[in-house]
Amino acid sequence: MTKAERRELQERQRAAKATGKTAAPPPPVNAKPGASRPSQPPTPASPAPKRGSQARGTAPAGATTGKGAKDAKSVAEDAVVRSRGLRIFSHFALQRTVAHAKGDVHPAIVHLGLMFAEFKVSGANARCIATLSVFKQVIQDYTTPTHNTLTRHLNTHLSVQISHLVSARPMAVTMGSAIRQLKLEISGSDIDLPEQDAKDALCHKIDNYIRDRIIIADQVIQETATKKIHDGDVILTYARSSVVENVLLEAWEEGTRFSVYVVDSRPMLEGKRLLSVLVAASIPCTYLLLPALGSVITEISTVFVGAHSIHSNGAVYSRAGTALVAMMAKQHSVPVVVCCETYKFSEGVQLDSFTKNELAPNGDLFSSFPLTRPRGSLTLQNQTNLEILNPLYDLTPPSSITAVVTEVGVIPPDSISSIPLALGRQV
Amino acid sequence: MDFEESSSTKLASREFLAVVLAGFGNELLPLTSDHGDEPCPKALLPIANRPMIDYPLTWLEQSGITEVLLICPTAHRSRISHHIHSDTSSSSYPSLHVDVQTYDETQNLTVGTCTVLKHFSHRIQQDFVLLPCDFIPPAGLTLTSLLNKYRIESHLDGAIVTACWYQAQRPEKGAVPEDWGSAPTAIPIVWDRQSGTLLHVDTLDDLDRNGEELELRMSLLSRYARTSLSSRYQDSHVYVCKKSVLDVLHRKAEFDSFREEFVPWLCKLHYQRTKQQKYSKTLQPSQANVSQVLALRHSTLYSGLTYGGHHPPDDSTDSPTHKPMPLSGPPSPIGHIDDGIPAVSLRVGLIVHEGGFAGRANNLPTLLELNRHFLSLTTYALPTDPENRSLINVKSQISNDSMVGTSTKVGERTTIKRSVIGKHCVIGRSVRIVGCILLDHCVVGDGAKLDGSILGKNTKVGAKAELVRCLTQAGYEVDAAGSFKHEKLEISDWTAGRDEDAGNEESDSGGDDETDEEE
Repeated sequence: MTKAERRELQERQRAAKATGKTAAPPPPVNAKPGASRPSQPPTPASPAPKRGSQARGTAPAGATTGKGAKDAKSVAEDAVVRSRGLRIFSHFALQRTVAHAKGDVHPAIVHLGLMFAEFKVSGANARCIATLSVFKQVIQDYTTPTHNTLTRHLNTHLSVQISHLVSARPMAVTMGSAIRQLKLEISGSDIDLPEQDAKDALCHKIDNYIRDRIIIADQVIQETATKKIHDGDVILTYARSSVVENVLLEAWEEGTRFSVYVVDSRPMLEGKRLLSVLVAASIPCTYLLLPALGSVITEISTVFVGAHSIHSNGAVYSRAGTALVAMMAKQHSVPVVVCCETYKFSEGVQLDSFTKNELAPNGDLFSSFPLTRPRGSLTLQNQTNLEILNPLYDLTPPSSITAVVTEVGVIPPDSISSIPLALGRQV
Repeated sequence: MDFEESSSTKLASREFLAVVLAGFGNELLPLTSDHGDEPCPKALLPIANRPMIDYPLTWLEQSGITEVLLICPTAHRSRISHHIHSDTSSSSYPSLHVDVQTYDETQNLTVGTCTVLKHFSHRIQQDFVLLPCDFIPPAGLTLTSLLNKYRIESHLDGAIVTACWYQAQRPEKGAVPEDWGSAPTAIPIVWDRQSGTLLHVDTLDDLDRNGEELELRMSLLSRYARTSLSSRYQDSHVYVCKKSVLDVLHRKAEFDSFREEFVPWLCKLHYQRTKQQKYSKTLQPSQANVSQVLALRHSTLYSGLTYGGHHPPDDSTDSPTHKPMPLSGPPSPIGHIDDGIPAVSLRVGLIVHEGGFAGRANNLPTLLELNRHFLSLTTYALPTDPENRSLINVKSQISNDSMVGTSTKVGERTTIKRSVIGKHCVIGRSVRIVGCILLDHCVVGDGAKLDGSILGKNTKVGAKAELVRCLTQAGYEVDAAGSFKHEKLEISDWTAGRDEDAGNEESDSGGDDETDEEE
């Protein structure tokens, strides 16, 4: 028996035992072997996607009963397989925003959720700042219910808002760090303060967080990174990072003369927007799509990329395609510099981009196709024999990264886990 | 008892206020004429046996709006209020909080919608949705999608209104007799497909001034190089507006009709610079979206240019509305975000809905079409409860595409085809009803023939009478063996006719106003 077949048998036996224990309805037991058998032939030699599709993740079907989690997941999986859903990445199929917000959601949060879902606000820094700004509004509009205190109740109130935001788009690591810090501040606030003072103090702390961990951090990173750019350099960057953009503009303003290669990819085509900004500042640029990278990599002196988040093992989780850029650059001995603030640090260890990822919605959200082509001819929607798959993120292994520039210094990727120490355990 | 009435529960519902306008329905006379002393409000005229106002109100309920301000003429207040607040299962709106307000107007002297809005503007404290009582939304369009478009655009871009136009159905020729009125004329509009912006609506004044040509400003065309022009669509009169639009309305005293005059004028604000400079302060009283400026600066898909791309070069350096926001330069700490506020566009967003059947039931041809459309959606089944079942005679033939209300008695050998019969009607024996709409409480005598007619409430049709394509006012009595073709029958004619020979009666088709008369 091959490894896959053996795993199938094990899964079947485990499922049978689990159904006997939790008295789940019979269909999962019958359907599971049936579903796993068709999924077996197409992926006999690639255990990785199989592992990914059976990993924990949000079940698209919704409610699970906790103990029967594995069974429920298999039911959900069956439903997806039977409905000809995606074979991989089905565990983070897009959830649609609910028509009504569940619970008592502030209208500004509803607006923000819409902006997230429609990708009007995108990018780790942008989303975090937008979330925190809206939370300031929510806190100001909040009134403590009677028989309760702000320190205890505000957290539950915010959790309702957060779950609405998460239903629009999965939470970013930056948002998570910020929200964790905010909840810490709320539970630590003085119980005797009058309500308005407590609220003002919280808003002030939010402002400070944005200023210290994002704005000033960006400025420090700029100063550090501009030292790495010299006259005559050829810089390569991928898609669009707010930090890298600022670095390039600042370096140009200081008088360093360099040129930039902007690498871009579908469906978001964020590089185009970066290109318009750089060209407006008179920086000589070249624009290319990702497949053309191999032709120009020999001319590049440094690669600057941004990050969505950075993990304890030094892996960088960033826009899909960054890994390719980094690995190719490493192959040609081009230094890869990741510009990243410390609040993007995530305590977990990430080994691949299957367990945690996000799919871009189908349809013409990004208006990336030219207007001159008739709309119907462009493949934007799923068809009966075609599923469109656009993961948004990928993972760059630490071996491909030369250095990470943060506001606490330039760190080699292996020492990323020392960041909390450097910050005095503030993360 | 511990009432957990925290004001935060009202947060979400405070976002929008729905303003529903119920008018007189002058185009639907004589159906909306008084029934004796009692008025027949247009809002309560049934379409497929549901009062007209049910449709927009259920549409509102589905979108999650809870506050509704319903404005109706004083004479209609008691009936409409009774209908909405009564607890019958067919017309209860558990989550809507409807506030019925009246406006003094008489049927002869109707007031424009702008005046009504100005009168009630003190009650409108937030962004509002303006709806007519007679809009039947298409099946595929939800109010939520309209609201979402407004929410995104007003925050991102400074849009002030979002409108909705639907594809109009052209009724076939001959389906409706000419003197019942014609379907509303097609109004050409110009809009930008990519951003969904309404650019130009032809007004009646424009038509009067130049009936053969469409005049467009060059500033419109230079901002939007690719636009679409069509006259296939009808205005649904559903507008999601910012609160500051009311302030602008107060400044423009000369506008009477919201749809016909104010909205076309608002469309021009976007590209006419003088108007924009005059009204931008009113329309953007506070920089409400300042908090998102910093976030948008960091956003990867935001390029700082407004829709329409090209900005004409502007020499006034201190008007923030014209500078495209640059993203260059280090972001300043959040204390100093005065520079680089994104340009506000003051545009009117537009959703053009294709497909589905929709209509504004404010004229007779559309009313007929809507009824026919709903008939085509349902199939008739005999009522299941024995009481109603016993009222319908076994020997009567009711076709599949008809609708019969509850407690309606149908005699034997009666045929009913393609018709909507209201509640509590009494249909005699051997009656032929084809393609008609009978409102509630009608009485049709034996042997009568009704073809393509609309009978108002409480109409009595005598035995062996024949009505072909007639309209009757509520409470009209057709004499036995009377025969009418293509006429609008009103009670004033009937009492006039009573004095003459009881045989054939002549009646004017809607010439005089109806008068209150007692029997």
